[in-house]
Amino acid sequence: MSLQRVTRSTVIDHPIERVWPVLRDFNSHVHWHPVVAESHIEDGLLPDQVGCIRNFRLKDGAHLREQLLTLSDRDWISTYCILDSTIPLYRYVATVRLKRVTDGDRTFWHWESTFATPAGRERELTEQVGRNVYQAGFEALRLHLAPV
Amino acid sequence: MIRVYTSSVIDAPADAVWQQVRDFNGLPAWHPAIAESRIEAGAPSDRVGCVRNFRTRDGGVIREQLLTLSDFEYECTYSILESPMGVDNYIATLKLTPITDGNRTFAEWSAEFDCAPGRERELTQLIGQDIFQGGFTALKQRFLKAAA
Repeated sequence: MSLQRVTRSTVIDHPIERVWPVLRDFNSHVHWHPVVAESHIEDGLLPDQVGCIRNFRLKDGAHLREQLLTLSDRDWISTYCILDSTIPLYRYVATVRLKRVTDGDRTFWHWESTFATPAGRERELTEQVGRNVYQAGFEALRLHLAPV
Repeated sequence: MIRVYTSSVIDAPADAVWQQVRDFNGLPAWHPAIAESRIEAGAPSDRVGCVRNFRTRDGGVIREQLLTLSDFEYECTYSILESPMGVDNYIATLKLTPITDGNRTFAEWSAEFDCAPGRERELTQLIGQDIFQGGFTALKQRFLKAAA
């Protein structure tokens, strides 16, 4: 199985000090990502404990367990992998990386993953991850951070 | 070691911005602080190791050597061989990253150098604001005009 790579990036009109505290919390997606219905960190670990597992369910009923592999407050990086998923994403490893946009005090957000899929479903699943998870996440976090 | 980091968003695809900035002899075409430039010894401007010899609008002569050029990473690294700025061990990197959301470009320009004690703030301002941000502001203007 060849590895697929999905990359999406955006700019958030908030300083990195505002964006990173949300994204570094491995369980925060339940509060801002529209596809996540419920989520908890297993075994009572903290959501910034490297090795912790988030166990969550999507609104369409899919169930996933993901493990935090890297968390860097120095470089604003979070890397995680899928342990179990009802969606056929194999060897899935994703990285969220923020960078400061000094011109305007904004945040560049880069979200990337590699994974394998069942033969013939590459396009469908890369679209699903890129659009429904990453791009939808960008738009949702923007709303979450905006003063209403 | 002093570090300077400046980043911006340019409203044009990374391929277009890269075409403008990858020419190591091309500063006078887009950077408002640079009056004229030539490559020493008749070398092509994308030959790694070539030296650009250029003059700033205020009359300073600077010689810089190309250390890395990557059309894959949209990245260029160079060092200062001679300059009137009073910096030592100066190495700078200009890097572009595509922003998929809106097909724009995240541009980063960073440098590391040593200098005499007490000159850190002045040089950080000169390099980070006048040179790097000045270049980004000019690129933003240029692509604004190109789109209009």
